[in-house]
Amino acid sequence: MTAKNGSATATRVKASDPTDQLPRDLLSREEYLELFRQLYLARYFDVRLIKEKKKGRLTGTLYSSHNQEAVLVGSLFGLRPNDWISPIHRDMPAFFMKDLRSGWDNPDRMGMSIEEVCAQVWCKVGSPGRARDNWSHIGKKDKHIIHSTSMLAGTIPVAAGVAYADKLDGGDTVVVTFNGEGSTAQGVFHEAINFAAVHKLAVVTIIENNQWAYGTPTHLGYPLEDYARRADGYGIPGFIADGQDVFDVYDKVMQAVAWGRSGKGPSIVECKTFRAYGHGDHDDDRAAKYRPQDEVEQGRSRDPIAIAKKVLLEKGYITESEATLYQAEGKSAGQTTDEDFPPEVVAYLKRGVDYALKSPAPAAEEGERWVFRV
Amino acid sequence: MTNMTYREAVRLAMIEEMDRDQNVFIMGEDIGKYKGTFRVTDGLFERYCQEPRDWLVEPPHPEILDGVGRRVIDTPITEPGIVGMATGAAMTGLRPIVEMMTMSFSILALDQIINHAAKIHYMTGGQISVPLVIRGPGGAANQLSAQHSHSMEGWYAHVPGLKVVAPATPNCAKGMLKAAIRDDNPVIFTENPGLYSMKGDVSDNVDEIIPFGKARIAKEGKDISLIAYSRMVNVSLAAAELLAADGIDAEVVDVRSLLPLDTETIYNSVRKTHRAVVVYEDWKSGGFGAEIAARIAQDCFDDLDAPVGRVGGLNVPMPYARVLELQCIPNEQDVLAEVRKIG
Repeated sequence: MTAKNGSATATRVKASDPTDQLPRDLLSREEYLELFRQLYLARYFDVRLIKEKKKGRLTGTLYSSHNQEAVLVGSLFGLRPNDWISPIHRDMPAFFMKDLRSGWDNPDRMGMSIEEVCAQVWCKVGSPGRARDNWSHIGKKDKHIIHSTSMLAGTIPVAAGVAYADKLDGGDTVVVTFNGEGSTAQGVFHEAINFAAVHKLAVVTIIENNQWAYGTPTHLGYPLEDYARRADGYGIPGFIADGQDVFDVYDKVMQAVAWGRSGKGPSIVECKTFRAYGHGDHDDDRAAKYRPQDEVEQGRSRDPIAIAKKVLLEKGYITESEATLYQAEGKSAGQTTDEDFPPEVVAYLKRGVDYALKSPAPAAEEGERWVFRV
Repeated sequence: MTNMTYREAVRLAMIEEMDRDQNVFIMGEDIGKYKGTFRVTDGLFERYCQEPRDWLVEPPHPEILDGVGRRVIDTPITEPGIVGMATGAAMTGLRPIVEMMTMSFSILALDQIINHAAKIHYMTGGQISVPLVIRGPGGAANQLSAQHSHSMEGWYAHVPGLKVVAPATPNCAKGMLKAAIRDDNPVIFTENPGLYSMKGDVSDNVDEIIPFGKARIAKEGKDISLIAYSRMVNVSLAAAELLAADGIDAEVVDVRSLLPLDTETIYNSVRKTHRAVVVYEDWKSGGFGAEIAARIAQDCFDDLDAPVGRVGGLNVPMPYARVLELQCIPNEQDVLAEVRKIG
């Protein structure tokens, strides 16, 4: 099966007619630049935490989103503040990047603050999860963020439930769930999307196809090449996006979101990307041993920052000299320095890290609190 | 005897049984080239699967799948599916070993385990048996938090139709896993992650199995019985040392098989010492230690000089912060405190 087959699925439901204007065509130069800047922010979050851990200032496992930032940034950018998201472990930046368009420092925006997310990472009382669970296992109801879970695909039914409740309330919010391609083998993936399709719920299931489910390659997980074709079984649109191209992700997710918001039901967006490093940082050094080295090198060769930069140059939105200002692309965390990132990005993370380091750890005797609502 | 880790003993049991019986195979998530998340299946892929010619040939590629998967099968992420598939294979006469990445994830497969694997023999009037082993790490490791730290053995020991074992030493792990693989019933075999690197002498005899339903005296004593299984046996042994400094000679009973349960060995110990404290990592309330305590209280009532004590995990989802996590897992000081409390 080729990518064409998957795209045909989308065409059949008239969701991506090539003659139509693309969602990106409605974006201003400033919005293009903001998307670009957010790629740096997502990358720097990952880089900074890897460095903090190497310094011994951090415990826990980091599931790097390195090389997959375009999926997060492109999916989140066009959402309305009230839309819901359900990220998983590799999507840590999503927790603070949701509704970032309303202002990075806007306390009322519908996303977590960088301080809250860092406090969660550092296991401090200032975190939304109050240090009761690990890095990505946070949610925030008032910001419309569903918690992540260890049981992969386990939150898709939760997302469908949220969408169902919203529909009963007469709302038009969309719920976007993030999943690896490995999660699509879970029974609840099917159960949830089937339910959403039956009830025409606005659930957009993003499949971050990064080619590796922990240690298992895609061909041991699904017999076809395009995971978007899973949509065929439910009679819903299945879009395929180049997950390295933030603008293509934006286009496809916005089409899926529009489909859902107009009451037509759920959809699947497969973003083809590549997991640049190990499953978690505990897996980093071993990565090459179970993954063919040439595949890893090829997968890392299409850095989303470089691809977006090229688009901006072609459109004349940045000059050649501006394009060379920050050069994080193609570098591992260890190879980058703060000079490779815009200063406002570095400052933003510093604020979060400083807050987390200063925040108190939970008191040992409070462990039994919050088991029940009293 | 050979000195090896608990992890190596589990692996050796699988290798010996897979060598002995072509019907034995293993399936699970990331157990092939990745060697399992706790490295238990290291070397099995190479030993039992032909090295595929090109691992990343585009599908369809039946010849590659055959090479990858015949006896060491990397599955998709689908615990109910894995157990369901293994149950079907076992019904037809194969002897599958399912590795759960963590026993916490077996919760996803409860329907398949309880409603299918455990009941099929009974429901078919003894026509169909399910020789299935479900094994993997159960209990707390180090900051794996609420969804990776479950002690599931008490849940499964509640279910008629399942056998449940929780060995504490490398030798017991090997002998009991071999028994599990040869058993014609579904067996839950739980391995505390804190034990994987523990070393001990292991029998070299490929025919030696340790049958279920037989407890082990880990340390003889005369003043009090500490009754435990899995990693809590080590905690109890450490507590016994501390008690010795106070002049109290504790006996440590390693239950090791929960279902079937060897009450005889437990009762004999209590009848000798007249005092008992049951130690288990699972949530204290309703955990399997409560069942053991209840049986002692009822059946050894006249032999007891004190109420039966219980040390169990704190009744909270396992917290992530180390300082909180340590509050939840029983340690030797908790055992000591309980011994003093019952008097």
